[in-house]
Amino acid sequence: GSPPQGLVDDTEDVSLDFGSEEELALRKAKIRHPLATFFHLFFRVSAIITYLFCDWFSNSFVACFVTILLLLSFDFWSVKNVTGRLLVGLRWWNQIDEDGKSHWVFEARRVPTRAASTEAEARIFWLGLIICPVIWTVFFFSTLFSLKLKWLALVIAGISLQTANLYGYIHCKLGGHKSTSRATSSFFVTADVPKRQERRTSEDHVEIHGKTGTR
Amino acid sequence: FAGLADVSIAEDIPVEGEITVPVGSHSPDEDYSTLDEPVKDTIMRDLKAVGKKFVHVMYPKKSSALLRDWDLWGPLVLCVSLALMLQGGSADSKEDGGPQFAEVFVIIWFGAVVITLNSKLLGGTISFFQSLCVLGYCVLPLTVAMLVCRLVLLAGSGTVSFIIRLIVVVAMFGWSTLASTAFLADSQPPNRKALVVYPIFLFYFVISWMILTFTPQ
Repeated sequence: GSPPQGLVDDTEDVSLDFGSEEELALRKAKIRHPLATFFHLFFRVSAIITYLFCDWFSNSFVACFVTILLLLSFDFWSVKNVTGRLLVGLRWWNQIDEDGKSHWVFEARRVPTRAASTEAEARIFWLGLIICPVIWTVFFFSTLFSLKLKWLALVIAGISLQTANLYGYIHCKLGGHKSTSRATSSFFVTADVPKRQERRTSEDHVEIHGKTGTR
Repeated sequence: FAGLADVSIAEDIPVEGEITVPVGSHSPDEDYSTLDEPVKDTIMRDLKAVGKKFVHVMYPKKSSALLRDWDLWGPLVLCVSLALMLQGGSADSKEDGGPQFAEVFVIIWFGAVVITLNSKLLGGTISFFQSLCVLGYCVLPLTVAMLVCRLVLLAGSGTVSFIIRLIVVVAMFGWSTLASTAFLADSQPPNRKALVVYPIFLFYFVISWMILTFTPQ
């Protein structure tokens, strides 16, 4: 490949870089994943707005309930599977191994890749992640005290889904080395082909820590 | 690790092994490259997994799909459709079906959680979400029964229609219970199987009762 360019000014980047025009533009952009950022906030905010203004949208309780529930589910799925990965390089999931034991795996990307996330994106991610569960908790108390109990199931569902993502990502962020090495050791114990392999990524080569890996 | 890094760059030492894991799991590496493609891939993969589980419920035999790759999308869809179909019953003509919709929801999810806790307390080896997944997916036969009942009720609501509905609901109830028992009872020690099966029986019985006693306005 082409020789790496030294980029003294831009401190966000790894030294291995091929410096094409496209990538320079990508690196300078404040938000590198506009679509992911949009969707990260879109579903959560829409769910909250629909809940607040459901009377304006429709008379039917059922329609509002189902809409908000679907929005919350899509939000949970997209934050867990897509936006966390793209915006802050964190990921968490549950895995059942051969014995039927379930492991919760928390992964954090250590070496930034070419399209790494910016500070602005990370800030948006964490703000969105933290503020929304707080708002749903406020809704919980307001529903409880105003005795509109038919909404309670929905609010509880909202709190659980959003708090689950919040907890998962905080665990990823704080866990760091400890969690990933625990996950790796559990792969070594079950000697069959691991479903997922831990990897550290640098630009071109990937180190695999699987059954034949060495530390 | 600096030594290892040098080794992989050198040309004469072949780098072996797989870079991505093709076992139907997410692989962060190939997903980092573009935004649009991998999201579609992820969605398609999840949809296929959900569809596969529905098939496994209809033909219950030991399958790792339901147990190991659990997900709760199927139960959500089933729960919502069942709750929607149970709308418009004669009990709540004044209101817009609000409480009854939420009731069905709460009964299904709370019931499933209680059964799961029960089986865990009895020393079951299955995990919390796996059990929820199985119980939720096995509501499929009863949802089909609900659909059939609504169609039969369109035709009329006499004794004949009641007998048809009764047969259909009983058959589907048996199917649901057998399917979920096939998956869940194995994780229990043998002398406790009845203790685990009984709450499952009760759970599907309550849902079947709601379906059978549904009379439209």
